[in-house]
Parts: sequence; structure tokens; C-alpha cells
Amino acid sequence: MSLNRIPLVSGLLLIAFIFQEAFVNRVHFFLGGFAFYLAFSIAWILREDRSTAVLVGFISGLIADLSPTLEAPFGLWMLVMTGFAFILTTYVRGSLDPNLSPLTLSVVTAAGSAVALILFVVIGAILGEDVASISALIREIIGNAIWSFVLSPLFIPLALKMHKLSLTARER
Amino acid sequence: MATRGTNRARLLLVSLLVTSLLLITLDLRGANVVTSIRSASQTILAPFQSAGSAILSPIGNFFSDLFNLGNTRERIEELEKANEELKSQVILNEKLSAELAQLKGVLDLAGKARFKTVSARVISKGGTSTFSETIVLDQGSRAGIRPDMTVISQAGLVGVVRSTSANTSVVLLMNDPSFRIGVRVAGSQDMGVLTGQGRNIYSLQMLSASADISVGDVLLSRGSSGDTPFVPGVPVGKIIFVDNAAGQLTKQARVEAFVDLNSLAVVSVVLDSKGSNPGDSLVPAAPRPAPTVTVYVTPSPTKNE
Repeated sequence: MSLNRIPLVSGLLLIAFIFQEAFVNRVHFFLGGFAFYLAFSIAWILREDRSTAVLVGFISGLIADLSPTLEAPFGLWMLVMTGFAFILTTYVRGSLDPNLSPLTLSVVTAAGSAVALILFVVIGAILGEDVASISALIREIIGNAIWSFVLSPLFIPLALKMHKLSLTARER
Repeated sequence: MATRGTNRARLLLVSLLVTSLLLITLDLRGANVVTSIRSASQTILAPFQSAGSAILSPIGNFFSDLFNLGNTRERIEELEKANEELKSQVILNEKLSAELAQLKGVLDLAGKARFKTVSARVISKGGTSTFSETIVLDQGSRAGIRPDMTVISQAGLVGVVRSTSANTSVVLLMNDPSFRIGVRVAGSQDMGVLTGQGRNIYSLQMLSASADISVGDVLLSRGSSGDTPFVPGVPVGKIIFVDNAAGQLTKQARVEAFVDLNSLAVVSVVLDSKGSNPGDSLVPAAPRPAPTVTVYVTPSPTKNE
């Protein structure tokens, strides 16, 4: 990734984050909730090459850590998203068709956001964070995966458009 | 070439993971920089959250109402349009009435306890990815709110102020897994510790093995030293299940909170309890049973008789 892409990528991810904090968090979902920003970031990461994905994961984690309602230590989302972006691009995307179909992208995004949340909880617990009851965690994680899948036709095209917008002429 | 790319990715991965771990260590060691960053981000987010709060509440209902509109004659359309405007006005009024009722309730509670409070609107809540049960209020340090102040609603305890910016505050809700509060049973004064579970049911661990608790007992906040973070006497919840399993050192129970944390619109932050301890005076009144109506039916005589 060329260095001059970083401010644009950060800006676009920041807009997605503000949208989540200001609007999505206000919506009362029937089951669990919807981590729009997380799903948006994963859909974005899936379109990048490995090095860029790691860097985008780091930036998206850094922005997620800015959430004032977050009780976890600053840097936890950074750690999770950086590692997860590497795993996703190395082990998951490599085994998929290079031209990801919309359905595959939706499934991988929904499953990926669930795995990222599980990693966040597990690493948080290792670092000494208090963890909610298992039933509450399962409800949140499954609810989020379902909403990520159901709403994917809305946010994945947006993520792909924004990703395309952030590419330099040569990268396009 | 591919190996070079892989090595580059791994090197980047390791350096970024080390950076993350360094930041986590700094935060866990209580570096002020991290707190300041989150406080600054809250200040930046506050106007967006207020806008989101203002936009989302009436529009959700407005669109669902519009969905049922028919496209017939022009006159009907005009009337329906006017009707929809009136409907959305009514919905807005209902929303304001509900907020007013909550505000009245919480002021009544605070007044009864003689707490000095400041009321605030809920403008946002913590997202799924944070895994923390929090809300954001539209009042902050300018209104006198400081971290570790008790937050109440009309029905009782809501949580505790976690952090503040000039115009907003983040409140840790009582159902967060990291939330713990010392409580006492109204009447018997037995003490225990209530813990959030991430849902509407709470876990209660009594301090004394001889504590006598039963289903329906009301729990009140015990109060903290200097009244921070908790002022005494605030209704917390009622016991719905007592675990009488043998082999436990102290009694455990499950508790249902008085406050529905999903429908909070207006809350109050206790600025000063003025040293008053309301004792058991804030225990919510038990619902009065409806009077039984007995209807006597006398058969009317038939013509044959």
C-alpha cells in the first residue's frame, strides 16, 4: 500500500466508526446487536493484499479503541484486528475463489466478525477483563453474526466502493 | 518475490502487534494519555451522537407510518399527508411525555432522598463490539458531573459515571460484568454484593452465612465511603430466586433490577447526597391488588312460569 493511501483509508474508516457510534448504536436490535464498523472493516480487509490488510486491520483497531464506551484496555482491538487481518488474508482468503462472490463475501464477513468478537473476549479475559455470562456472550455474538449477514447487502457494497475510492490510480 | 512479500507482511505484523501490546501495557499501567485520548474522542463524537439521537427517534416511527399510506385521490393524499404530520407530531409528543414522566419520576425519587441531582438525556449507548454495557449522557463536567457519581432513574439505580468530557458523560450500567455494588436487604439490613451479568438478571452474594433472604426481598444500595461511587438507600432490585444448595459458605441469589436499562431516556446524576441516608424510605410501594368484583346474576322469570 502506498503511504499516501493511509490518511484516506483512516478517514473513510473513521466515517464508518462515527456512523456506528452516532446511529447504529442507537438502534435497538431484536437479537444481540450489530457491530457495523467491525463488519465494514472485515469486508474491506478481505479486498486487500496481506501487508495492506495487516495495516488496515491495525488502523481499524486503533479507531475502534477510541470508542469512549469501551471498557477494555486501549490497544486490545488493535491487537485483535491486526492479528485477525493476517489470519484472514493468509489462511481464509487463500482458500477461496480470488473473485469473491457476494454470497461468499457476506458469509465470510459475518463469520469473521463473530470470530473477531470471540478473539476480543478471549484475549480480554486473559488480560483480566470481566466477562459477561456465557448466555449473554453467545446471544451477542450470534446476534451480531446474523445481523452482519442480513444487512450485508447494504454495507458490503458501501465498503467495496469506499475501498475502490481509496485505491491509487496505479493500484486500480 | 513471494517470499519477500511474505517476510514483509510478517515483519509488519510483528511490529504492529508489539505496538498494540505496548499500548495495552501503557493503559493497564494507568497512563493518562490513553484516558485523555478517549475523553477527546468522546468530545468529538458528542455532536454526532446528539444528532443521531435527535434524528433516529421520530424518523423510525414516521417511516413505518408512511408505509401504510395509499395512493388514491389527491384530496385523500393531502389529508393523509396532514394526518401523517399530525401523527408524527403525536409520536413526538408521546416521546416527550414519556421523557417527562421519567424525569418527573426520577426527580420525585431524588427529592424524597434529598439528593442534589442533575438530569440528562441518554444520547447513545455502547456498541456490540465494545462488550461493555454503557450509555452516553448529554451532560458532562460543565454540569458538575464527575467520574464515580451515582446515576439513578425513576425506578432506582442505573449505574455509575465512568468518564466525562465537557458536555457528555459515559455511564457504566449496572448490568455490565465489571459492575459490583454493596447492597443491603430492606428491613433486615443483611448485606451482600450484587454483580452484573451482561443481561437483566443479576447475581447476589450475601456477606454473612446466617443472612435470611427470600424471594421478593428488596435490595437497596449500601452506600460508599464519601458517597462515591454509590449513595445509600437507592432501590436496586428484588430477589427472584434464592440458591439454597448445600455446601455454600454464604447464600447466593438471583436478582431482577427495578430499572429497565433498555428503555432509558432520561436519568439523573447524583451530584451531592448532602450526607442524607434515606434508609428504607425509597423502597418502591408494592402493587395494590385490584379489588375483586363479584357479580350476582338473578335469572329472569320465563313466560312459561
